[in-house]
Amino acid sequence: MIDLYIAFAIIGLAALIHASFQLGVSMLTLLSGHSLSIKRSELRIFRLTTSFVMGAGTMTLLLLAITVLTFRYLIPVHNPLIWSIVSGLLIGIGFAVLFTYYRAGRGTMLWIPRGFADFLTRRTKATRRSAESFSLGLTSVISELLFIAAPLVVSAYVIIHLPAAWQLVAILGYVAISLSSLLIVWGLLGYGRKISRIQRWREQNKTFLQYISAISLVTLGAFTYVNEVIGGLI
Amino acid sequence: MTHIIKRGAREYESYSREKLHRSIVAVCRSVHASEGSAETAATATCDAVDTWLKSRPEVTSGDIRRIAAKTLKIHNPDAAYYYTQHKHIM
Repeated sequence: MIDLYIAFAIIGLAALIHASFQLGVSMLTLLSGHSLSIKRSELRIFRLTTSFVMGAGTMTLLLLAITVLTFRYLIPVHNPLIWSIVSGLLIGIGFAVLFTYYRAGRGTMLWIPRGFADFLTRRTKATRRSAESFSLGLTSVISELLFIAAPLVVSAYVIIHLPAAWQLVAILGYVAISLSSLLIVWGLLGYGRKISRIQRWREQNKTFLQYISAISLVTLGAFTYVNEVIGGLI
Repeated sequence: MTHIIKRGAREYESYSREKLHRSIVAVCRSVHASEGSAETAATATCDAVDTWLKSRPEVTSGDIRRIAAKTLKIHNPDAAYYYTQHKHIM
């Protein structure tokens, strides 16, 4: 059985890495900016942005719960081969983040294909109802599955090692931490902070965020490999 | 009449002052500018773009955006920044 503190440390770091991915924040920024530009009421904007964050949270919860359930029945617990695959996934996606997450040039253009980015931009601007905004939040998590797969998979595999009582705590903890970046932007927008200042901060710190995510993924991959694969052999 | 070549489009579009005015007002509202301030910034920006277009029969939409942002920066730097970021957020 994996040590409880180590398990929660892995899940916490994985959730923070998940929080550092920016597609949801980009969509929330656009949603709020467009809503302000067409003179929607503060209450309406609050409802739309809240629904978006709830949608992202719901999809993260569903994905993690489904992954945990699948692993619980299909994958053996504490298997060095599985730990090796999980570690490799973390390190591989870490390098992918380092080289491909942001496009070169101005702004905070992400790795997603331009046609899909245009579609998401149009869809975000066309959002009028809370239900649409909620589904947009769901979509934002699915669209970034390529990168969030690594933190989700390592967390799910750690969670199945935990006693049943701690599994729910770990899942809810992961969801709460992974939403932290969206919640911060949601709070700033609700507080009346200018969207241009948020975007400027994102642009100025994008390289830092990219490096931190990549280094954290590689470090986490190396740690799980050493602790669970090599440590298991000694 | 000035023709505008749009990014990724094969056809030309005629320059529309009203369309530019609307987009500048919208971007000013996005950064919490007041209605009056947004109108003033939009009018000044459109005037500057009109002047710049006088001797140019054909321009790209990127040119219009660049010139508009340059003038808008004088009236509302936050709006100008957000205006230039429009296509670069996601």
